Amino acid sequence: MIRRIASLHVVINIFLISIVALGLFGCGGGTPESEEPETSGSGSVDADGHVTIEFWYSLGGDSGKVVEELVKRFNESQSEITVNGTYQGNYGAIMAKVWGAISAGSTPNVAQLGAAPLLGETGTIAAVSDYMGGESGIDASQIKDVFWQYNTAKGTIWTMPFNNSVPVMYYNKDLFAAAGLDPEKPPKTWDEVIEYGKQLTKDTDGNGEIDQWAFNTNDDTHWFLSAMFLENNAKIVDEAETEVLYNSPEAVEMLTLWSDMITTHKIMPVNQHSEARGDFLAGKLAMLVGSSSGILSTERDATFKVGVAVIPTVAGKEPVAPVGGASLVIFKHEQEVIQNASWEFVKYMASEESALYVAMNTGYLPIYNSARENPDFIKYMEEHPNLNATVLSLDYAYSIPEFSALGTSDTELRKAVQTVELGQASPQDALNAAKMAVDKFIKEQPQTQP
Amino acid sequence: MTDLETSHPVSTISPSTAGKRAGFTHSRRVQKWTGGIFWYISLIVISAAVILPFFWMLATSLKNPQEVFTYPPTWIPKVFHFENYIEAWHAAPFARYFTNSFLVAGAVTFGQLVSCCLAAFAFARMNFKGKGLMFTIFLSTTMISTQVTLVPSYLIIEKLDWIDSYQGLIVPFIANAFGVFMIRQAFMGIPDELEDAARIDGCGRLRFLVQIILPLTKPVLAAQGLFAFMGNWNSYLWPLIVTNKQEMRTLQIGLRYFVSQEGSTEWGVYMAAAVVVTIPVIIIYFLVQKSFVEGMATTGLKG
Repeated sequence: MIRRIASLHVVINIFLISIVALGLFGCGGGTPESEEPETSGSGSVDADGHVTIEFWYSLGGDSGKVVEELVKRFNESQSEITVNGTYQGNYGAIMAKVWGAISAGSTPNVAQLGAAPLLGETGTIAAVSDYMGGESGIDASQIKDVFWQYNTAKGTIWTMPFNNSVPVMYYNKDLFAAAGLDPEKPPKTWDEVIEYGKQLTKDTDGNGEIDQWAFNTNDDTHWFLSAMFLENNAKIVDEAETEVLYNSPEAVEMLTLWSDMITTHKIMPVNQHSEARGDFLAGKLAMLVGSSSGILSTERDATFKVGVAVIPTVAGKEPVAPVGGASLVIFKHEQEVIQNASWEFVKYMASEESALYVAMNTGYLPIYNSARENPDFIKYMEEHPNLNATVLSLDYAYSIPEFSALGTSDTELRKAVQTVELGQASPQDALNAAKMAVDKFIKEQPQTQP
Repeated sequence: MTDLETSHPVSTISPSTAGKRAGFTHSRRVQKWTGGIFWYISLIVISAAVILPFFWMLATSLKNPQEVFTYPPTWIPKVFHFENYIEAWHAAPFARYFTNSFLVAGAVTFGQLVSCCLAAFAFARMNFKGKGLMFTIFLSTTMISTQVTLVPSYLIIEKLDWIDSYQGLIVPFIANAFGVFMIRQAFMGIPDELEDAARIDGCGRLRFLVQIILPLTKPVLAAQGLFAFMGNWNSYLWPLIVTNKQEMRTLQIGLRYFVSQEGSTEWGVYMAAAVVVTIPVIIIYFLVQKSFVEGMATTGLKG
């Protein structure tokens, strides 16, 4: 479901709300076989044929301003459609709102949110693939394949790529130099991370407690653990999407490596992921694995030289950067003219020009293949050399299949990491437990239309 | 105080004990002093612990992004960045949010006080069949978590077409079982004789409630009013769900706008907005403080 949520608490709440909403939706309105598709209640056409549509988005702060600017540009660029964009909270909050709106039949026309392709099963969204071919379509080959995969569920491309990111490794160049390590040569493999880490973990004031840690990750630990699984050739889910596969020896090897960083090599603190970014900015953490979308703000907030590297990998294997982020969704509407207007807006937001604007004003990835040759983008990269890691990561980008239990799976993986870090379970047992929980969830899903 | 003791004023009276009884011996005086000091120090420590987060919020609101995370942390910013406040104010239509928050919280407070007083009066001073059962049911509603009722409530509001309306924000909160409980306790403390006397003088039930009981239970009402106001002022999830338009939103949603998905939150500006949002509640608290403390101390103890 949602890749990068700030707190487990929010996830659990959203999960509960979704369960209740699913129950209501399942019992109340349409079964998948019913003829009437659930359509959006929003949007209107006035007497002159001018269409107004509602757009819900979930980016706040600086990224929110970028979205608003694009909405403004769209409205000014033509006179047939007006878009009303409103911020609806973060990914967790907007998902709760959308589920509520689906139950009530009052969805917006377009929404920007995470885990969007999974909404395809509700029958309330119009697949983007239906629009791509027509005369008002777009050339799908211009956008990197992995982003289309990220927006696919059960074989259909439901949603439009918009803001995506990958995990990267931030590091403190000053701390590297102080430890005698080359600040321009960050570790490339997990073994190197451990080797460097031993020299970067310090008890600086001699009181017996470590106050400078070498390595940590942000709290979307499931994302980074998944990257490690994939690097070690461990699969997340099987082809038929009926069971998860991360209790395999290769996966257990990675979770064991994670645990060893804490217990054996002592380069990572126990269960301190929420404070990781704060520690990094305070100069108390040397290496931090986090989302590439935070590169610009980290540079702004740090008082030291920040370096960014591609996520480390297993020795002898290529890195894997699993894609995260959100997409644009079109909700079905009875009136074709309104639904078409929604598509026109989405087309604009995902156009090459808009995508470049997003990439150059936020930390999100450029989704077009042509971005790398674009002179403005090249100049922008020269001004922000740390973004090179992001662009390099594009070559290793991978989309974890959007299966229906992804949200549960993410939560279970985070639980597994936590129990292992706290010494409450062995990696094998933790992953077995996670697999059991997720497989059970998949089995209990109501059989929806294929 | 015996004549013997008062005939030795020099040895027992000193500036620090001026006003105290001259009968205290030296050791008793010291005992009282150290006892007092102990309490003062405890209170200072506890107050500091409580004020600390607010002070940190205030300090952070004046910092630039780099100073926010420095270690060791700075309690007084090197440079005071007042422009954070200006930036915060312009980031979202806060003037409108303020109006909405005040209106909604105010209406909810008023509505709760009215409905709770009426219900509490019935439970405290009237007898009717099923009173005990009904009160138990009232109390049991406090055990249902909001997440469970969120979706059904949303559906009801949607069917009534109250999305993006003030009614949708106010009406669901006009009843408060906990308030009924608290106020019932206070009403139960009013002696029956008073009611009998009023009755004899021809005072009806409603008039008795409004003109006699309410003035006597002001502290509890002030406490309940403050809870209601604060609870609604801080409410985030419900206003987020039932409003889609900017013009109908409240302050807490406006605050969330500063929190960024990617961790790029500008904490200085965010804290500045938080300070501004907290101020009205602090002001109201100081206004009702005297009543509030009295209410907490004397609930159920009136005689």
